[in-house]
Amino acid sequence: MEAAILLKGVTKSFGRTKAVDNLDLAIPRGALYGFIGPNGAGKTTSIRMIMSILFPDAGEVSVLGNRSATEAKDRIGYLPEERGLYRKMRVGAFLAYMGRLKGLHETGLHKRVEKSLESVGLGGAGRKRCEELSKGMMQKVQFLAATIHKPDLLILDEPFSGLDPVSSRLLRELVLAEHSRGATILFSTHVMPHAEELCDSVIMMHRGRKVLEERMETIRRQYDPRRIHFEPLDPIADVSSLNALPEVECVARMDESYEILLKEGMEPAQVMRHIVQTVVPARMELARPQLEDVFISLVSAGDKIDDTPEKLRARLTESPAEAPAV
Amino acid sequence: MRKVLHIALREFIVTVSNRSFIIGLLVMLALIGLFAVISPHVFNLRDFKVVGDVRIIDPTGVVVPQLNASLDARRIAVRRAEQARVALDSVPAEVRQLAGARGETALQAALGPVPDLRLEERPLQADIQEEKTWLTEKNADRPHLALIVVHQNAVTLDPGELRYGTFDLFVAPNLDDRAENEIQQSVRDALINARGDAQSLNRERINAIIQVPRVHSVTVTVGDERATVRGLNIALPLSVAALLFVGVMTGGQALLTTTVEEKSNRVIEVLLSAVSPMELMAGKLIGQMAVSLLVLGLYIGLGLTVLTSLSLFGLFNPWLIVYMLIFFVIMYLVFGSLMMAVGSAVNEMREAQGLMMPLMIMQIIPWILWLPISRNPNSMLSVFMSFLPPVNTFGMLLRMASSAPPPWWQVWLSIGIGVASVFVAIWFAAKVFRIGLLMYGKPPNLATLIRWARSA
Repeated sequence: MEAAILLKGVTKSFGRTKAVDNLDLAIPRGALYGFIGPNGAGKTTSIRMIMSILFPDAGEVSVLGNRSATEAKDRIGYLPEERGLYRKMRVGAFLAYMGRLKGLHETGLHKRVEKSLESVGLGGAGRKRCEELSKGMMQKVQFLAATIHKPDLLILDEPFSGLDPVSSRLLRELVLAEHSRGATILFSTHVMPHAEELCDSVIMMHRGRKVLEERMETIRRQYDPRRIHFEPLDPIADVSSLNALPEVECVARMDESYEILLKEGMEPAQVMRHIVQTVVPARMELARPQLEDVFISLVSAGDKIDDTPEKLRARLTESPAEAPAV
Repeated sequence: MRKVLHIALREFIVTVSNRSFIIGLLVMLALIGLFAVISPHVFNLRDFKVVGDVRIIDPTGVVVPQLNASLDARRIAVRRAEQARVALDSVPAEVRQLAGARGETALQAALGPVPDLRLEERPLQADIQEEKTWLTEKNADRPHLALIVVHQNAVTLDPGELRYGTFDLFVAPNLDDRAENEIQQSVRDALINARGDAQSLNRERINAIIQVPRVHSVTVTVGDERATVRGLNIALPLSVAALLFVGVMTGGQALLTTTVEEKSNRVIEVLLSAVSPMELMAGKLIGQMAVSLLVLGLYIGLGLTVLTSLSLFGLFNPWLIVYMLIFFVIMYLVFGSLMMAVGSAVNEMREAQGLMMPLMIMQIIPWILWLPISRNPNSMLSVFMSFLPPVNTFGMLLRMASSAPPPWWQVWLSIGIGVASVFVAIWFAAKVFRIGLLMYGKPPNLATLIRWARSA
């Protein structure tokens, strides 16, 4: 199938800073891709190049089969990280204006605007001025502005930044609705759990370079769980017998519980059965691989990386506002 | 193109429906109307009457009778009638026709009521210092206005001299200049009459001899000739330049502020997802140009209505409007695109001041050079300014509206240079615009903008 987004050897520098370095990317149509990495990894610059807002110094970009997004802007929805509204404009007029700029015809435009507002619980807000909306309402309107024309490709740059949990959940539902409609979705985030929840594939970026592009299933399988968190029913139970199990590499005490590291290639389900037979547990769970851990392990293993895992973890939790501008 | 028009339409509607725009436009028109209506009342002399006493020391003994005659109300009325006739003589024929018989009366009325001056002759041995003190004495009914001391040789020449003496005039504090003018003119009139009498010359005959009325010159151009209109030659270029300035500033300023607003509102990247920077720039330029044309249209329409209602339309070359619109478009596109580039480069209006300075200077230069260009439209400076972008539009329009318009090839060469400067300005602005729109943080200086243009 033809890729919705295809990047070949794309490079972009700002002065002496290489924001994106030789990036190859192929996002199939209908996919839900997460573009992840810490702030300053080059995600926004890559997205802006995909959107033809910035142009690469080298490499090729193809979007929806076109040589640039300029030729397909009417089929793309884009929610930038730095997003705003015309504060004095009425909500309905703003959405209609964005619809017109996205190539929608006047016929049925106002009805479409009304319907879309109703779909996010903002029925009747069309006559309000944008400045009268609450922050959450503004974010809904911004999302509608990006999707009013029902795009084939939806690109969202840090869509969850600054959202409260309720708005986050609503946005997640809206994104999934767009995906189930058939839109290809690429969204960037530095908050990896968001990507874990939503994406079927992720691209990890670090310092302008792609460090991983994989389906979530594959990541889960590839970075298979080798850790089991175990808490015995009897706090004073002798757990040294667990060390004797042939599948176990080692057992480490962690406060009231233990972390059991399995030998490579061991099947967790079988090991868990053996553990239950050896020491009665109060709680036992398989530690699933977190994208954050995957990212850190990948980046830390790199040859020329000078970030420590602690530093990387800190950068993954800082807000975009704290991050250096690229 | 459809997207460009959508952006242009939004720019136009948002700007013209803005309360401050409507108020600004209406207030401006109202101020012009108000000025036209009330200025005759504010600046007229009808309510001003010169009343008071004037003392004179006349060693010649012949000036006082003449001055008494000169200050006679009937004599003053005759003198004023003559002044009105001369004044009307110097205005265009169309105005004279329009004014008709009422013109003279109106002019006389404008000069105000005939003065009521009472002359008091003082003895020759009177102490001048004491007489001066009289000027400072208060008298509510008849103020003490002036003391005239006629020179001994004011009426007859001293042997071997070729110049007559005159008179000294001492006036009361805060004497209105119109009262002083009336006194000066009366004394002058009296002295001339006294000198004529001393020579046994008839004043009327002398007047007839020395009178050569100013004739109306005819400006001859290739294939055409028409009455020279001096006043219009000054007023027309100024009005045209002012219109050009108003049009460019209206659009340019709006482009600057809306671009800064869109950038600070962070709505710009949303727009760039739907249109290219060039489409956005073009849409904004066209939209604000329509606003400026609307403003220009209103002012031009108002001006033409006034000219037509005063039957003065014949003084105006309608082609000038066509050329003005051509030059407006050129100048608007140059300054508008540059102002938009400045708007895209800064984060808030305050930061735009430094970058706007060169543009403001470029717009002020024509105002500095307005008089020399209007006075001498074919001088080296005038010709140079009419070809030097971006002020060539102002320069050429001033020359075209002057009494000696340039040949057509110079006009079209200037238009060609203007069009080239439009391309350069838009090229530069587009490069800066594309980079500046997404740049936040420290505002750039001029050197940075040039670097952006070269690197984009």
